[in-house]
Amino acid sequence: MEINSAKKLKKLEGMSSTPKYRTRMSDIVFEIVNHTFFLVFALACIFPFYYLFINTISDNELVRIGAITLIPKGIHFRNYLSLTNVNDLGQAFKISILRTIIGTALMVGSTALVGFLVTKQEMWGRSIWYRFMVITMYFNAGLIPWYLNMSMLGLTDNFLGYIIPGIVAPYNIILVKTYIESIPAELEESAYIDGATYMTVFRKIIWPLSKPILATIAIFGAVGNWNSFQDSLILMQNDASLHTLQHRLWTYLNEANNLAAMMQGANGQLSASQQAQLLDSKTIKYTVSMVTVLPIMFVYPFMQRYFEKGIMLGAVKG
Amino acid sequence: MKTDKLVKTTKERITDILFYVYRIIIILLLITLCIPAINPANVSELINDNMSLFTSGIDYASLTAGIIRAVTLGWVQESSFVIIFISCMVIIFSYAGIAVNACMSLGSLKMRRLGNIVALISSVTGLAGMGGIYQAYVQLCETSKPEKVGPHFPFGFIVIVGALLIILVFSLLLLMLQPKPDADDVYELKQKYKLFLLLSPFILLTFVFSYLQLWGWRYAFYDYNAGDTLSKDNFVGFKWFTYLFQNSATRSDIVRVIRNTMAMSGLGIATSWCAMAFAIFLCEIKSLRIRRFIQTCTTIPNFISWVMVYSFAFVLFSSEGLVSNLIVRNGGTAVNFLMNGDHIWLKMLLWGMWKGIGWSAIIYIAGISGIDQQLYEAATVDGAGRFQRMWHITVPGLLPTFLVLLLMQIAGILSNGLDQYLVFRNPNNASGIEVLDLYVYRLGIGSGVIPLSTVVGMCKSLISVALLLVANRASKMIRGNSIV
Repeated sequence: MEINSAKKLKKLEGMSSTPKYRTRMSDIVFEIVNHTFFLVFALACIFPFYYLFINTISDNELVRIGAITLIPKGIHFRNYLSLTNVNDLGQAFKISILRTIIGTALMVGSTALVGFLVTKQEMWGRSIWYRFMVITMYFNAGLIPWYLNMSMLGLTDNFLGYIIPGIVAPYNIILVKTYIESIPAELEESAYIDGATYMTVFRKIIWPLSKPILATIAIFGAVGNWNSFQDSLILMQNDASLHTLQHRLWTYLNEANNLAAMMQGANGQLSASQQAQLLDSKTIKYTVSMVTVLPIMFVYPFMQRYFEKGIMLGAVKG
Repeated sequence: MKTDKLVKTTKERITDILFYVYRIIIILLLITLCIPAINPANVSELINDNMSLFTSGIDYASLTAGIIRAVTLGWVQESSFVIIFISCMVIIFSYAGIAVNACMSLGSLKMRRLGNIVALISSVTGLAGMGGIYQAYVQLCETSKPEKVGPHFPFGFIVIVGALLIILVFSLLLLMLQPKPDADDVYELKQKYKLFLLLSPFILLTFVFSYLQLWGWRYAFYDYNAGDTLSKDNFVGFKWFTYLFQNSATRSDIVRVIRNTMAMSGLGIATSWCAMAFAIFLCEIKSLRIRRFIQTCTTIPNFISWVMVYSFAFVLFSSEGLVSNLIVRNGGTAVNFLMNGDHIWLKMLLWGMWKGIGWSAIIYIAGISGIDQQLYEAATVDGAGRFQRMWHITVPGLLPTFLVLLLMQIAGILSNGLDQYLVFRNPNNASGIEVLDLYVYRLGIGSGVIPLSTVVGMCKSLISVALLLVANRASKMIRGNSIV
C-alpha cells in the first residue's frame, strides 16, 4: 500500500515536473507572440488618429510633399484657426452640435419617462403598448418608404427631421425599464402612500436613482447623433445649410477624390489650378476630419466607464 | 365615482357604446390631419397635392408656393389663400379641442361633461373653418382662367365635414344621455387612464415614425414618379414585382447585388468567431494595465463614423496618403489604393473588423470573467495546458453568447447597412461593393425609381423578418429561450 502510494506520488511528480519545463518554454513564446499581436493591433487602431493629428499640426509645405511620417515637424495650429474661413463649416458644426444636444436630451428624457411608465402594471393596456413600441426594433419598411413617410410629414429639409424620429428609442426603453425594475418597489410605494403623484415619484425617486443607466444611454445617444450621416444625406438633399459635419466632411473627401480620379485618368495632366486646389484642400480636409473626430475622443474616457455596463445590459433580454 | 353599479342600465350601455364609436372617430379624424389625400383645403390645382391639412395650416409659404404667377396675372386674389390658411389654422385648433375631449372622455362624469362641451365648441369652430374654405373655393371658382387655376371640390371636404357633424351630434347626444354629476363629483381620471395618457404621445410617435412607413409600401403597386399623386390611373398591380424578374438588366443587377450582399455578410459570419478568439487571447495577458491599454485602443474605432473611417483610409491609402508617400520616397509612383476594385469584399471585411472587433470582444471578455475560476484550477491540476483550458472551458462557456450573436447575424444577413459601402464606393469598385441597401438607396434616392426600389426594400424587409423568426425558433430549440 505504502509503496503503491509512493509510486503514485513519484508518478505525479514526474508528470508535473517534466512537462513543466516544456510549458514554461512555450509559455514564454506564447506570451511574446500574444503580446506582440495585441500591441501591434492596438497601435494599428490608434495610428490613424495620430497620423491625422500630426499632419494637421505640421508645417503645411512638408505635409504637401508628404514628408510627415511619424514625427510632426514645424508644429503650428494655424490650420485650426483657418477653418473659420472654410465656407459652411461653421454652420455644419452648429447643426451637428445642436442635434447632438437637443436630440440626446429629448431622447434621454422621454426614454426615462417611458421606461418608468411601462413598469406600471396598472396602466391600461400596458403590455400591448410596450410591445407595440419595442417590436419596432425588429422591422422597418425599407429606406424608400421611410423617406417618403418623412417627406409626407414635412420633415425633409427640416431640422426637426433629426430630432423627432429619435425621441422614442425602443432599445434604450428596454434598458431603462429593466433598470427601473431593479429599483426596490418599496421606495415608490411609500411615496404613493404619502400622496405623491406619478410625476413626483418620477422626478424625485426614479430619475435620481436611474442616473447611471441614463448616463449610459445619453452617451451612446450623443455619439450616435454626432456620427449619424445617413439622415443628413437622405433627408436634407435640398438644403445644404442643414448638413451635418459628417456629411460635410464626406463632401470634401469626395471632391478631393474626384479630383484625384481625374488626375489618375489624365496621367497626371492636371491643370495648375486643379493641382493647387487638390493640394490646398489636403490640409483643410485633414483638419476638418480631426475636428469631426475630436469630440468623440474627448468623451471617450467618460464613455469607457459606462459602455461595458451598457453592452452587458443589452445582452440580457428586456 | 359613485355610479359604480353592478348592473348597467340600457341608457348607460348606449352611452358606453357611443363613447367608443366617438373615440374611434376622433382618432381617425386626427389621423386625417397628416394625410395629403384627405386634405379639405386642396381646392385648387395651384395647391400642392402632397400637402396635408396640418401643413396647410402652419406653413403659409408652402401653401402659396404655386400661386405667385396666378396672383400677379390677376387670375386669383391672394386673399382667397389667406382665407384658406386661416381656416386651416382654425380647424387645427378645433382638432386640438376634440383631442382634449377624447382624453377627458376617460375621466369622471364631471370631466366627461366638460369634455363634451369642449368637443361641441370645437366641432362648431371646425365647421366654421370648413365654411371659410368653402368661401375660398367659391371665390376661386369665379376666376377668369378656370383651366389654369383648376378649382375642384376636394373629396376630403365632405369626409371632414361629415366627421365634424358626427362629433357635434354625438357630443349633444352624450350631454343629454348622461346623468347630471353630483355636486361633490370632482374632475378626475382613473389611474390606469392617467398612465395611458402620459404614455400616449410616445405611442403616437412610434406609430407615426415606425408603423406609418408601412403605408409607403403602396408605392410598390403604382407607376409613380416624384411629385405624382397616386390614383386609379397609375395603379399597376404587381407589375414591378414581375419586372424585377423579367427585365434582364434589372435581374442581372439584382443577382449581382445579392451576390455582394451574401458574400459580405457571409464573410462577416465566417469570421464572427474572431471576436471570441480576440477576447480569449486578450484575457491571457496577465498585466491588467496592458490589457486595459489594448482594450482602450481597440474599442475606439467603434465610436467613429464610417465617414471618419473613410477619412482615415483616405489619409493612409489614397494617392496623397502615407503609403503612397512612402512609395514615392523610395522612387516609385503614387498609387491610389482606394480606387482599386480588386478584393473589395476582403477589404470591406478588414475595415469592418478594424472598426468592430474590439467592441464585439467586450461581451466575450465579460463572459470570460463570469466563468467559474475553480474550473480552471481543477483543469490545471488535471494537467490541462493553456490551449486545452481555452478549448475545453472558456470556449464552451462562451458558446451560448456566441450562438445568440451568430443567429442574430444570420437573421440580419440582408442588412449590411448603407454607410460603409456608400462612403467607400467609387466607379472602380462599384460592381463589387454594391450591397442591397446601397442598391436601394442609389435606385430610389439617386435615380428616383421609387416603385422598383420600394419593391426591393419590401422584399428585403419581409425576408429579414422571416429570417428573424426562424432564428428565434432555432434559438428556442437550441438553448430553450428566445432572442427576440
